[in-house]
Amino acid sequence: MKTQYSRRNVLTRLGGAIAGLLTLSTARAVKAAVQKVFVSSGAPKDYDTTKHKWLMCIDVNRCIGCGLCVEACKKENSVPEGPYFRTWIERYIIPKPEPGSGQTRGETLVDSPNGGMHGFPPSPVPKDQIEHSFFVPKLCNLCEHSPCVQVCPVGATFDAPDGAVLIDPKYCIGCGFCIQACPYGCRFLSPVTHTAEKCTLCYHRITRGLKPACAEICPTQARIFGDLKNAGPDDPIRKFYENNRVSVLKPHLGTEPRVLYAGLDKEVR
Amino acid sequence: MNQPPGGRTPFRAAEETGRTPIQPFYSMRRFKMPPQIVRLVLLTLAIVGSYFVARAFLTPASFGEFGWYRGEALVELRSRTPVYAGKQACDECHSDQLQKLAKFEHKTLSCEACHGVSREHAENPDILPVKLTGSHCIRCHEANPSRPKWFKQIVVKDHYSGKCTECHVPHQPSQSP
Ligand code: HEC
Ligand code: HEC
Ligand code: HEC
Ligand code: HEC
Repeated sequence: MKTQYSRRNVLTRLGGAIAGLLTLSTARAVKAAVQKVFVSSGAPKDYDTTKHKWLMCIDVNRCIGCGLCVEACKKENSVPEGPYFRTWIERYIIPKPEPGSGQTRGETLVDSPNGGMHGFPPSPVPKDQIEHSFFVPKLCNLCEHSPCVQVCPVGATFDAPDGAVLIDPKYCIGCGFCIQACPYGCRFLSPVTHTAEKCTLCYHRITRGLKPACAEICPTQARIFGDLKNAGPDDPIRKFYENNRVSVLKPHLGTEPRVLYAGLDKEVR
Repeated sequence: MNQPPGGRTPFRAAEETGRTPIQPFYSMRRFKMPPQIVRLVLLTLAIVGSYFVARAFLTPASFGEFGWYRGEALVELRSRTPVYAGKQACDECHSDQLQKLAKFEHKTLSCEACHGVSREHAENPDILPVKLTGSHCIRCHEANPSRPKWFKQIVVKDHYSGKCTECHVPHQPSQSP
């Protein structure tokens, strides 16, 4: 049998196909809307993304390097075993200068054994030769102008209106551009899902009115978590601002992080 | 007069019909779109149209709700259940312990910093949190030159022998039992 290709024939079929596609996509949209109303995803309903602006303040002078935050982060977010961290602690050891060397300080040592998760071994530099030593907790810097978001080719990583920088795990293709782009090294490619992963500020906790796991578990309040849009005069973040002069990591990059540090040294990058 | 090959010039045609000669390039009174242009326009419209149809079909409904991403991802990310219960969760049943803790040096500590993840216990008190042996004290209090000076540290092997809880009440560390 021979198919007749008349112009009218082809055009009607084409029109039919387009109409079919349009109906299908409308049907999908309707289905999604109905699901949203009737199926509960377990997500808190009364959370409005536009009414918050989260930030984290870190007081380096208060960190005792116990590593509970790293452990809590791993447990809370099922971060894969091994050298994968959404938050970690670095130990800085700045020795005294050698006499007569003409320098202000010795060569800085930085280490982070297993992200500091199980604490730190004794210092490799004897105590009397240390000029300064301190711990610096690190996490996603919540940039106002995030380099990682700019490079994502598929719109999988984004700045949420509440200031969290998040990854859509369903959309991430695992290309790794964002890992290259992050100047703070806060992202990694998960060996389990093969997608990029990073600190979400414990998005499932903060939207329920809880603190992120690291800030919750910190025994010395070295990590202060707050909401800029709802900070009263007695809020811990206001106190933090009043009591400290704050700085950010790598300010010359113009990323304008919303993770503020107090008590940083120039060696910390 | 030499005739151009292949036909007459428009000037000659005008002469023959007796009308004013028309400059063919500058005045087009009866413009007719050449058919190849019509097809080109239709084809372009069809391609652009099918792009929009395909886009409407392929992009998720919530894409672009807040920006260049899937708005639904925000809901999915917050639908996970928390692991750590948080200090407030313990208040419901252990408010006495919370008040005790708040009066002493360990006031900034979260219950779960020592007792470990206790959400299951908070939801069902029959599942008890893991028993503490006291080794967790060292994690924070072992002396280390990198720790800040204000923080009270001990060199564990020089600091009395015996379990920490024999001499320190964990919730009131400066008190002895
Ligand atoms: C729903 C009420 C409830 C909540 C909420 C709750 N507990 Fe308990 N908890 C109990 C009860 C009841 C016991 C006593 C069990 C017993 O003595 O057999 C207990 C006992 C304990 C014990 C002693 C276990 C032992 O071995 O003797 C610890 C430690 C504890 N809770 C910690 C916590 C922490 C930390 C939280 C907060 C995350 C919490 N609980 C929240 C009801 C609760
Ligand atoms: C410094 C670590 C630490 C912190 C912080 C802590 N606990 Fe404990 N808690 C202990 C230890 C250690 C024991 C075991 C005491 C023993 O065996 O004599 C204990 C015992 C308990 C018990 C058993 C009853 C008792 O009095 O012996 C309960 C209930 C309890 N804790 C609840 C809490 C709650 C609720 C919080 C948070 C407000 C909390 N704990 C914070 C270390 C801690
Ligand atoms: C998660 C970290 C952490 C753990 C675990 C911990 N502590 Fe503490 N401890 C602190 C902090 C923070 C302070 C407050 C230090 C300060 O303000 O000077 C403190 C203070 C103390 C003090 C000093 C009280 C004083 O006189 O000022 C003692 C003693 C003490 N803890 C004993 C213990 C014992 C015993 C345990 C184990 C049951 C323990 N700690 C577990 C963090 C911890
Ligand atoms: C035999 C009783 C005893 C035992 C066991 C004991 N302590 Fe103490 N601890 C004391 C006394 C008494 C003090 C206060 C006087 C002092 O500093 O020696 C003290 C002080 C401290 C301080 C405060 C130090 C300071 O600079 O003020 C810390 C921290 C501490 N102990 C932690 C611990 C930890 C952790 C353990 C378990 C490894 C432990 N203690 C075991 C009796 C004990």
